[in-house]
Amino acid sequence: MPSVERSPRQLAEFLYLLTRQELKARYKGRFLGYVWALAHTFALAFVYWIAFKIIMGLDVTNYSVYLVAGMFPWVWMSVGVTSATRSFVVNALLIKEMGLAHAILPLSNVMQEMAHFVLALPAVIAWVVLAGGYDAAISWLWQIPLMLVLQVAFVYPIALGFALANAYVRDIEYLLGIGFPLLFFATPMVYPISIVPEPLHDWFELNPLHALMQSWRSLFMEGALDPAQAAYVAGWALALAAVAWTLYRKLAPRVGEVV
Amino acid sequence: MTRDSTINLSSGRGLPQLAELLYVLVRKELKARYKNRFLGYVWALANPFAFAFVYWIAFKFIMRLEIENYSLFLITGMFPWVWMSVGVTGATRSFVINASLIRKVSLPRAILPLGNVAQEMVHFGFALPVVMAFLWFAGEIRPNPSWLWQIPALLVLQVAFVYPLALSLALANAYVRDIEYLVGIGFSLLFFATPMVYPITLVPEAYRHWFELNPLHALMQSWRSVFLQGSLEPGTAAYAAAFAVVTGAIAWWLHRKLAPRIGELV
Amino acid sequence: MTHAVMCEGLWKTYQRHRPVGVKTLLLGADPPADTRFAREWALAEVGFAVPRGRSFGVIGANGSGKTTLLSILLGTVQADRGRIGLSGHVASLLELGAGFHGDLTGRENVVLYGSILGMRLAEIRRRFEAIAEFSELERAIEQPLRTYSAGMIARLGFSIIIHCAADILLIDEVLAVGDARFQAKCHQALREFRARGGTLVIVSHNMKEMTEVCDEGICLDLGRVVDSGPMAGVAARYQERMAAARPVKGGKHAER
Repeated sequence: MPSVERSPRQLAEFLYLLTRQELKARYKGRFLGYVWALAHTFALAFVYWIAFKIIMGLDVTNYSVYLVAGMFPWVWMSVGVTSATRSFVVNALLIKEMGLAHAILPLSNVMQEMAHFVLALPAVIAWVVLAGGYDAAISWLWQIPLMLVLQVAFVYPIALGFALANAYVRDIEYLLGIGFPLLFFATPMVYPISIVPEPLHDWFELNPLHALMQSWRSLFMEGALDPAQAAYVAGWALALAAVAWTLYRKLAPRVGEVV
Repeated sequence: MTRDSTINLSSGRGLPQLAELLYVLVRKELKARYKNRFLGYVWALANPFAFAFVYWIAFKFIMRLEIENYSLFLITGMFPWVWMSVGVTGATRSFVINASLIRKVSLPRAILPLGNVAQEMVHFGFALPVVMAFLWFAGEIRPNPSWLWQIPALLVLQVAFVYPLALSLALANAYVRDIEYLVGIGFSLLFFATPMVYPITLVPEAYRHWFELNPLHALMQSWRSVFLQGSLEPGTAAYAAAFAVVTGAIAWWLHRKLAPRIGELV
Repeated sequence: MTHAVMCEGLWKTYQRHRPVGVKTLLLGADPPADTRFAREWALAEVGFAVPRGRSFGVIGANGSGKTTLLSILLGTVQADRGRIGLSGHVASLLELGAGFHGDLTGRENVVLYGSILGMRLAEIRRRFEAIAEFSELERAIEQPLRTYSAGMIARLGFSIIIHCAADILLIDEVLAVGDARFQAKCHQALREFRARGGTLVIVSHNMKEMTEVCDEGICLDLGRVVDSGPMAGVAARYQERMAAARPVKGGKHAER
């Protein structure tokens, strides 16, 4: 079932409108919405700091910066994928009108969360510089945008794949609710990978999420992203994109009938 | 405004009818939630188990936390915690989500947050046999005859503890929507402050008595001691009960003050 | 007491209470003015009384306060001042689908709405056949509600309230969606309801229907009672005014 042809420019405008409308709707009547999003992540980081540093006595240099530098990209990724997974189900009406579960819907979710992340960046950078004592690097001016693109390229195929799968099998939503907290500790986000015991350690290193988060952390904490880690993520992004593309071609035309 | 007291809308709504209404509302939510889901209830069960597993890996295996029977410690706390936190979080939004019921239909409003608490209690009830089986196989703790009165007593205690919180937050959220966000942040904080994943003995001496004042700790500790030792510590349970009475009074007062107006707020 | 429904001196403003955010509380910023009602009062000094067994109509332009009035009678909204008296059990149909759940079947929704209206489960089970038959949904009663048309939902809703043993029915504009034959059936059922001693307060824009169903009524304009008396006269005078007037003053205000 072919959809109406749209030019890339129209698609970009549509994506912009969709994302803006969602952000507006979410924060309507909730004046502190942005502050809450920021406060939630910082509060979580604080909790982990108390639990792991104070109570368990975990010894990591600049642990608070380690947490903050990783948790914001993590929240972007996990919240983006979780909401994207529901995007075809939530927008059932829109899909029936467009005649096709358009790939742009989950992309809009990823972009919304990226907007949050970008808005949070000043606070993250302030934390890194003021609390961590790291110097702000000029190279961030091009490395941060590069990382933004890399993360979109990595996250979007996952988001699209889950959104398609969830249209057919609604359990996927629940699976993610369990999956992300699991991954949060398996990536790992709250302790350095160096303390993972030997048999597991090598497996943890293979996790592309670890490479992605490690890239962000080295960007903030060492002033430059780690080319090897970034390239590893990019490789995964390509492979995932191929899988998502295949899924999209196979599954998208019938989504309108199952949501 | 005065409404003639001899004649009011809830005439004919006795306690049995309210109980039936609660039953119908809870059944509606559960039915609607589990339509189109192959595994249905399994998810409600799998979630706390998965979390417990994650914390077990992270704390026992990676952080090398030395706690006896750590997996049992986690499981026995996790299920009542999920009941409480998911119930209260859902209840906080209940007036806003059910705006059409609030605005266009006459029903006792306080029953909506109770519905959320009851719904999560149903999940907890379904999980109980699995928790007991886990205790038996993983910890060699056989079902204890005294559980027959201890568990129902704790179920009542937890409802009495959780419902006033749920009702108050739901009322407050009708007036100030930011409460939803606060609740989400609050539970993430409380999860580690209660504490749920490490024993309170690990908390440095200097802060420990602050942690012990937390009534949630008393509630969770009551569940743990019933499951692990087969004994309900009277002091701990009484502390949680006292807290329930105080919040109950506050919630009742808030309900009287705030409930009549929410019809035009949601 | 001879009146089944009465109210006197009802005043209502919607401007005082509104959801606020923490920012407003912290910074003390003035919340933006509520533009829903471009006047101070949603209802001003409204009063009427309906004897038992009679049918009362409320008419008026959009935003004149009709729905607010019904909500106050039902108790979902509180008046600022005034007195209300209702003697008997009340059932309402104020909004199409309110209290229903789209994922549940028609049968499950009958149980849900019946229970919300205050019926016992045994009572609902006993009357289920009658409700299903009246609604004429036939096999659709076992289908999820989201597959229903607006007319089907209205039929189901009306069937439930007419069978729920209420003494007072409050109905807002929901009969308009049914087809002419079903509307006639509803009117017949409402006549029987009143013959049993039931009392009806109904809001509608359909003057023909109102004249047919109601004995007496009032006309609201910008929250005030501008006309009252036998329904036929009130409706006729309202239509004359509507025809004579330019686009209505209150027409811009959205109705709740």
